[in-house]
Amino acid sequence: MTETPSAKVAQTELGDAERLALEPGVSPVSHGLSARVRDGEAWRSVFRHPGLDTPRGRALKSFSNVFLHIYPVKVPARVLRMRYSWRLGYIASVLFGILLGTGVYLMFFYTPTVTSAYGDMQQLRTGVGFGQLIRNVHRWSAHLMVLVVMFHLVRVFFAGSYKRPRQFNWVLGLGLLAITLGFSFTGYLLPWDQLSYWAVTVGTNLVDYIPVIGSLVRGVLIGGDQIGQPTLQRFYALHVAVLPVSLAMLLMVHIWRVRKDGFAVKRGGIGAFAEAGTGVPGEEPVVLPALMATTGSDEAEPRVRLLGVVDRESVTAEERLTDDTVFTWPHLLVRHGVVGLGTLALVLGLGIAFAAPLRGLANPNLTDERAKAPWYFVGLQELLSRFDPLVAGIFVPAGLFLILGLLPYIDRNPATEARNRKVAITVFSIMLIAAVGLTVIGALFRGPGWKFVVPWKHWYLEL
Amino acid sequence: MQQLTRRGLLAKGWKAGGTLLGVVTAWTSWGLLRPLRASGASGKINVGSASNFQDGAAVYNGVGRFWIANAKGNLFALSQQCPHLGCRVPFCESSGRFECPCHGSIFDIGGEWIAGPSPRGMDQLAVSLDGDNVIVDTSKRLDGPSRGANRFLSDPKGPPCAGNG
Repeated sequence: MTETPSAKVAQTELGDAERLALEPGVSPVSHGLSARVRDGEAWRSVFRHPGLDTPRGRALKSFSNVFLHIYPVKVPARVLRMRYSWRLGYIASVLFGILLGTGVYLMFFYTPTVTSAYGDMQQLRTGVGFGQLIRNVHRWSAHLMVLVVMFHLVRVFFAGSYKRPRQFNWVLGLGLLAITLGFSFTGYLLPWDQLSYWAVTVGTNLVDYIPVIGSLVRGVLIGGDQIGQPTLQRFYALHVAVLPVSLAMLLMVHIWRVRKDGFAVKRGGIGAFAEAGTGVPGEEPVVLPALMATTGSDEAEPRVRLLGVVDRESVTAEERLTDDTVFTWPHLLVRHGVVGLGTLALVLGLGIAFAAPLRGLANPNLTDERAKAPWYFVGLQELLSRFDPLVAGIFVPAGLFLILGLLPYIDRNPATEARNRKVAITVFSIMLIAAVGLTVIGALFRGPGWKFVVPWKHWYLEL
Repeated sequence: MQQLTRRGLLAKGWKAGGTLLGVVTAWTSWGLLRPLRASGASGKINVGSASNFQDGAAVYNGVGRFWIANAKGNLFALSQQCPHLGCRVPFCESSGRFECPCHGSIFDIGGEWIAGPSPRGMDQLAVSLDGDNVIVDTSKRLDGPSRGANRFLSDPKGPPCAGNG
């Protein structure tokens, strides 16, 4: 092997003496088998970073690891605070991971046919070791994920984090919410019990209220005019293949943009490039002359190599007096580890304490009096029982998604602090209270025949 | 019109090709995913002699999942699916009405809307007579009559069924 310019990596081959010289203050690594393994070629071919507990070592650790690459090497210190984001996005991702894991286990024991699906669920419950637990954890994680994604949306709204340059990431987030709902809804049908059958019947019939294309969309979704084998098969394919891939891809872009947009750092900071790219008329980004290399002035059009574009402000903002950033490893990763394990502990606890419901086998000829849509659609169902279907079934939900989707483009107010966003916060809060109110009424205060009941006397909500 | 450069032509070509690919994909997906024709219970079902159906009574047909109802001499084949959100609507013998247990829609013996959130009366399947035999064609489905038709409306025979109490 010849020495190449990139042979800086060869420092991985350094012995203790050289390492000490490079990284003063590091205690020598103990000799022995483990040290020999870690200094050996095989180990170093996998883990290229020297793994030193120094600023440079930590930076190298992030740089040279594809999985850590989703994090920046350093993050602003305030990112570490729980109150900064409540880690809601991260918790949702962890739940998605748990759902993938438990979901694969469930796939080993489940066949999506109307004749075997329900039996498989019973078998899983009684005849497979930990089968019931895995199913419980899957179910509670799914409900929790819908809830956490919604909380994430609300949190981002109140923080004003959907504003420039993060407009599009907000839209991506709405897409992720839609996919999450799709996940939960398709998964609802798979056990093929009475709860599944009638919740999905009611849920898919909501689609029918879309004018013109409603019944067609419903037909494509359920593959016929009533829920049956084609529906189960379609929902299964969506649930285990289409939606996981879509969610993973979208989530990747979403997280990548969170990183590139600089973790909600104010203008001119790390997010400067993203901001410049987002562009505002009349605010030309500054191209530093030093970064441009021209090839001779005799050409009519000089070839320009652009090495960097920076916002005008950031040129001065670069002169930060104190470094307010900390290393992702270990500061952020340790916190993520704790929150991730906490999430896992929570869903395990829920899974041990509460069994996922399994009612009788789906029976198209026996309507369950308690037929309700899944809880996140119950607000819509409540609305539908009070207003004209066109209003309740179409204008309200479509309008809601449209308003939310366009929000970052409508709301031109650059302020992020609450006292300067009174209108936006008032409107959003009213919508939020209405949505929560309708859901609570539909979920807890409605019994057979959609009659008013009080939850402390009769409970008609099943998850 | 601006002069078409080679680069411009190629750029347009990419876009046209991409659009074409999108159209073909959408077309294929539609062909694959469009609702399947209902199998098994679809088609014509002979439900027997017309004289079997008494005025004011409804008889259930489990194969086709519909009710045969006699409303003042008119025979209707009423789909069991509520037009509201698709619950199965049972016939309540005591009140002589169709009462949906899910969300409380009530229909008269002819399937016409009386109360509740349903936007219209119960959907109907085509009925024809072959001699004395009543034939129901489950592939021909008609939307139920709009609210307020009230052709067969009369006072309930008795108390409503459980769940609507």
